[in-house]
Parts: sequence; C-alpha cells; structure tokens
Amino acid sequence: MTSPHMFDLLVIGSGPAGQKAAIQGAKAGKRVGLIEQTREVGGACVYQGTIPSKTLRESALQMVRFLRATDVFEFRMRDDVRISSLMTRLDRVVRAHGEFMKEQLTRNGIQHLHGRAKFLSDREIDIQHLDGTHTNVSASLIVIATGSRPRVPDHVPIDHEHILDSDSILSLVYLPKSLTVLGGGVIASEYASIFALLGVQVIMVDSADRPLKFLDQDLTDQFCQAFEESGGQYRGLQKIRQVQWDGFSKVTTTLDNGQILESEKMLVALGRVANIEYLNVPAAGLTPTSRGLISVNEHCQTVMPHIYAVGDVIGPPSLASCSMEQGRRAVCHALGLSPGSAPEHIPMGIYSIPEMSSVGLSEQEAIAKHGGAMVGRARFHEIARGQISGMTNGLLKMVADAQGKQLLGVHIVGEGATELIHIGQMGLLHRIQIDSFVENIFNFPTLAETYRVAALDIAKQRRG
Amino acid sequence: MSPSSCLLEEELAAIRPVLANRLKTTGVDLPLLPVVAHQVLLLSGDPNVDSSKLSALIQQDQALAGQILRIANSPAYAPRSPIVSLQQAIAWLGFNMLAGLAFSVSVQSGVFKTAGYEKEVRGLWRHALATGLYGKEIARRIRHNVENAFLCGLLHLIGKPAILHLTSQTPPLAGRLHSWPVLEKLFDEFHLQAGTALGEVWKLPDSVKEAIRCFPDHLYDQATSPAKGAIITCLADHLASHALGTSDVEEETLRNLQVVRDLNFYPEDMTALLELKESIQHHVECFLS
Repeated sequence: MTSPHMFDLLVIGSGPAGQKAAIQGAKAGKRVGLIEQTREVGGACVYQGTIPSKTLRESALQMVRFLRATDVFEFRMRDDVRISSLMTRLDRVVRAHGEFMKEQLTRNGIQHLHGRAKFLSDREIDIQHLDGTHTNVSASLIVIATGSRPRVPDHVPIDHEHILDSDSILSLVYLPKSLTVLGGGVIASEYASIFALLGVQVIMVDSADRPLKFLDQDLTDQFCQAFEESGGQYRGLQKIRQVQWDGFSKVTTTLDNGQILESEKMLVALGRVANIEYLNVPAAGLTPTSRGLISVNEHCQTVMPHIYAVGDVIGPPSLASCSMEQGRRAVCHALGLSPGSAPEHIPMGIYSIPEMSSVGLSEQEAIAKHGGAMVGRARFHEIARGQISGMTNGLLKMVADAQGKQLLGVHIVGEGATELIHIGQMGLLHRIQIDSFVENIFNFPTLAETYRVAALDIAKQRRG
Repeated sequence: MSPSSCLLEEELAAIRPVLANRLKTTGVDLPLLPVVAHQVLLLSGDPNVDSSKLSALIQQDQALAGQILRIANSPAYAPRSPIVSLQQAIAWLGFNMLAGLAFSVSVQSGVFKTAGYEKEVRGLWRHALATGLYGKEIARRIRHNVENAFLCGLLHLIGKPAILHLTSQTPPLAGRLHSWPVLEKLFDEFHLQAGTALGEVWKLPDSVKEAIRCFPDHLYDQATSPAKGAIITCLADHLASHALGTSDVEEETLRNLQVVRDLNFYPEDMTALLELKESIQHHVECFLS
C-alpha cells in the first residue's frame, strides 16, 4: 500500500510553471502533490505579477478612454472613484482567476499541500504548516517552481508605505501626485506608463541609456515618446547614490551627479530574486548559482536527474508563457513522454502603454546572423483600422533577410501588439516568405493589415 | 446568581432598550466629528497637501498643538534637537502618523470627553492606538496599504466611546454614573452598531467603515474591501490586547488564532510581530502620557 505521504511527483510552487507541471503529471496518471506556501494557488503571477498589473493597465486604459469621452457624452466622473474602482476590479479579477486555477487542480486530482517546503534529502521534503506542525513527504520526481520576488537593493529602504516594490505598489488606495520609478526593465516600464497615463508625474531612473534595452530601438523610441506625451520623464545613464523618505511628504532620490529628485512615492523595480531561501537546496544535492538561481539543462533538469526546476527560479526569460511550457516539458521529459517539438520562436509581450511585443530576430541580430537585413515598417496611422479606433500611435516593424525574401522577425508597438504578434510568430514557424503577406488577403479594416503594408515596404526596397 | 450580578442585570435591563432606541435614530443623536478632526481626515486624502496646511489646521486648536509638540519631543521619536514648531514636528513625525494622531487627539479630547470615565476612555484610546500601530506592521508584511491599516485600527472601537457618549446624554440615563462592568456589557452588545452608525455620520472612508463593522473574528470574512482592513484589524486588535495586558490570552493561543492562519502567517511571522510588543507599548505611552 502507498503511504499517504508518498507521491510519484511533488511540485513545489503553484505559479504558472508549477501548475502546468502538476497537471502534466496528473494527466500522465501519476499521483501528484502540489506544495504551496500561500493559501491560494497561482503564485505571484496571479496575486502580485502578471494578472494584477495587466488588469490595472486595462482598467486604467478604459478609465482614461471614459474620461476622454466626457466631453462628448456630457457626464462627469467623481475624482475619488478612480483608484478605488481600479483596485476593486483588480481584486475581483484576481479572485476569479485564483478560483479557476484551484478548480483546475482539483479536477485533475492534484493534492494541494499547504505549507512551506524544505528539502530533507533529494527525495524527501519537510512541509511546515501555518500552525508550526510538520509533515514529511517524498517522491521519486520533484519539480521546483518556487518563482521569484522583488529584489530589495541594499541602499534603498523599502518600507512598503512610501517606498514600494512591485508587490506593495498594488496596495495604493489613492493616486500619488508624483512617483519615481527605479529601474528600466519590464516591470518598471509597465507601471511607469500606467501611472503616467493616470495623471501621476512619473520619473523613471535607470543606468541604461533607454528603457527595455533588449527590445528593438524603434519600439523603445515610440514607447519613450508616448511616455513623455503622458508627462513622464526617463532619466537614463544615472546611478542612485541615496534614497530616503524625508519623514513628512516626499521621497528624495540623490543621483550620483548630485541631482536630487523628489516624489510622493517611489516604486523600486530593480529586478527579482529566486525564492529558494526556505528550500534548503544543498540537502537535495543542489548548489545555487552566484545569482541565487538553480542551474538546469535544456530539459530543465538539475544536476540531480530526478529534480527539475522551472520558471523564474531558473532565471530569464521569466515570462509566464515560457514558465508554463517549461513546467509541462520538464514533466514530459522526466516521464519519458514526447513533449513535442521545442518552441523555436517565443514571443515577448510588454504590457506597457503602449503595448510592445516582439518575436524572432531584431534588425541588429539579423545583420549579425545573416550578414544583412531588410526592414519594412507600417505605422498604425496609415491603416484604416488605426484611424477608426483612434490607435494611431503604433508601429509594426518586419525584419527580413538581406534579400528581402525570408521573414526573420516582427516587432510591434501599439495597442493590440501582444495579440497581433502571433501572426508573425506563425509566419516564422512556417518559414513564410515576405511575399506571402503581400499576396494574401487580410480582413479590412484590421490592424493585421500592418503586416501587408510592412511587407509591401520590403518589396518596394527589393525592387528599387 | 450573586446579588451583584443581579444588580448588573437589572441595570442593563433598564439601559438596553433606551440605548437600542437611540441607536435606531443615530443620525440625529450621534456626535459630529470635531471640525479639526474632519479637516485632518480630508487633508490626509489630498495629494496636494503640504505641511503648512496641516500646521495651520492644528494651530486652530491650541490643546491639540501642544499635544503634538509633546509627542514629537517624546523619547519614542528621539528628536536630534528639541522640536519647537509644528512644522518641525510634522517633518519629524511624518504626515500620515501626525494626521492620524491629530485626528485621534481631537476626537478623544472633544466629543468623547466624558466626565467620570477619564481613565477608562484613556484605556480605550491606548488600545486603539496600539491596534493602529500593529495594523501598520501587519499590512507591511502582507503588502497591503499601511496608511489605511493604521486608520482602521485607530477607529475600530470608535463605537465604544460613542456608547459612553450616548448613555451620558440620553434621558433618563443622563447624569448617572454607570458602573464600568455595565458599560462593558453594553459595549459588547452595541459597539459594532454604534461604530458603524458613527462611521456613516462622520463620512469615514468605505474601507474604514467596513473594518469597524467587520473586524471581529467571526465577521472579517464578510469584508470585501481589497484593502483587507477588517482582517488586519482583527489580528492587530488581538495583538494590542496582548501587548497592553488587557487580555489574558497566552502567546500560544494567539499564535493559533484562525485569523493568523487566514492571513497565512507562519510562526516566524507571528514571532516578528510579537517582538514588536515593547516598541508598540513605548510608542503608545509616549502618545498618551
């Protein structure tokens, strides 16, 4: 008889990666236990990350559209409705998503083990419960999917009241007059642009010369332009000397060049760290990297062949979409099941305002890899649908080989970019030629037409 | 039943219907929020506020200004040099803390100054302040709004002084000094109702009204505000009672409360909160000494 504490598969963490790993195991007929330290399943993705920031973004956009329509429809919104409405909607969406995920796990017969996991050996785990009691569980296969949390830099005194991180920023009950955002990455850019749109005076400070440096520069230039039009400022190539709350009304930020910035609140978004502090990974035979991550091979397998690690705990790309796939593939690999062909082109979505998305090679990467590149551009204002919907601030950039024949990458900035990118992704997967976009018919009027316009731009360069 | 408990029941039986009746018509009978307290509350939600506005407001009430300066100079805040002006006090204490304090001092020394119960009312305010301070720390741990948690804690028992006020103002109860055990019984029965009514009359923020109405152990799961003021205040209230010695609950019992589990606090989280006991006691004494 099997002990109630013995499982075929134990997954630590119920975020996107852990959840998909657990479901894959259950679908393969294995007895699966999912250890989660919080009461709810879903991880930071649901409660502090992907879902809340995207919901806040969507609500902010809807609210701003609504406010802009007041001239036409002659109504007035109460000023104090703003942030509380945003947060209430956010809470509703998060709860609904959490409930949905809980049901999904139950439906698949996965046992939810509430508590904090700590390795006792490479096959045994101690679960500490809220009341301080412990349960030992074991499995022949273990997946670590404990995710990440905001990094707390030594020199920034985060108090979650005036100086906030990307978790506590969601606890605001009113819009601050001004906000300094430390960082120039995805989280910093998303929140900075959302708050700027809501009328907060936002200053982003980062050491890089432009935000989101890993993206195509055409995209970030457009992002910066839109951010500045909303009243935001980006201060690049800056180092922080000191941050402090002045004790009364403002956070002061002293830059290395002596300049002092003042704001009512601050958001610190200077990266994330893996959640491994309670895991006691050395007991499982694992050694964290110098950056506090868990090393894995291409199958997400650690140096211990029966222990896998997936999601943020192994480092970039730290995308919920990738983490889910890592979880599924890791368990397939462990159980000897075919995971299908490996994803070749993973799209990246940045839910800033405007939205940005990218798949395949950038112009610079194409030149480096193929010795040259031809680029076609389509601006949303040139497209009928862009004009109709008022989405005129957008750009689709198509990257082809030097001959302008083969599609190599697509980069989009503008509303709907994260949806629109999937046409490009499918094109890349099926090795579509640039001319296919010219010769085929898209619905009219749609933003998908930008593909055709960009392809025509390339075709024109090819001819002339 | 002992003769003393018989007397207590008799007294309660006489007061209960009068009080219940008064609470049915709350809007008319409940005290208005003092002007200064109301304006402080408005200011604290104003993103355009500056220290001079708050300073000017506090100066309208000399007793309040004096109290603020005393608190700013107290050892709990260890000023580097003596605080001699309100502007300086604001800078030293921080706006939100000061606004909360100004609100609290203004309320307790104004509408709820009930002759004959000074010591007991003071005990209520000590508890309220300790709850507000613990609320801030709980909110910080779960990444919820710290400012809101402070205000919820500070006002969660506002129904108790309101009942005291009503019993001292309502004929035929007025003019009689009721025993504290009798009043405590009335608090248990009516303070949520009185607090809720007062929250409406004073137009407190919705999240604070909800915390007043739903903070007890058996009610916080009815709260819907994303700010989670009710559940935070529930645990803060227990911790405040423990820290101030007003309940005989053992630390172990406190650690095993359902609210601790519902907040997903592990033993280490509770240890960290319990370690704040002396600091909270110190702050409370400095505020109210």
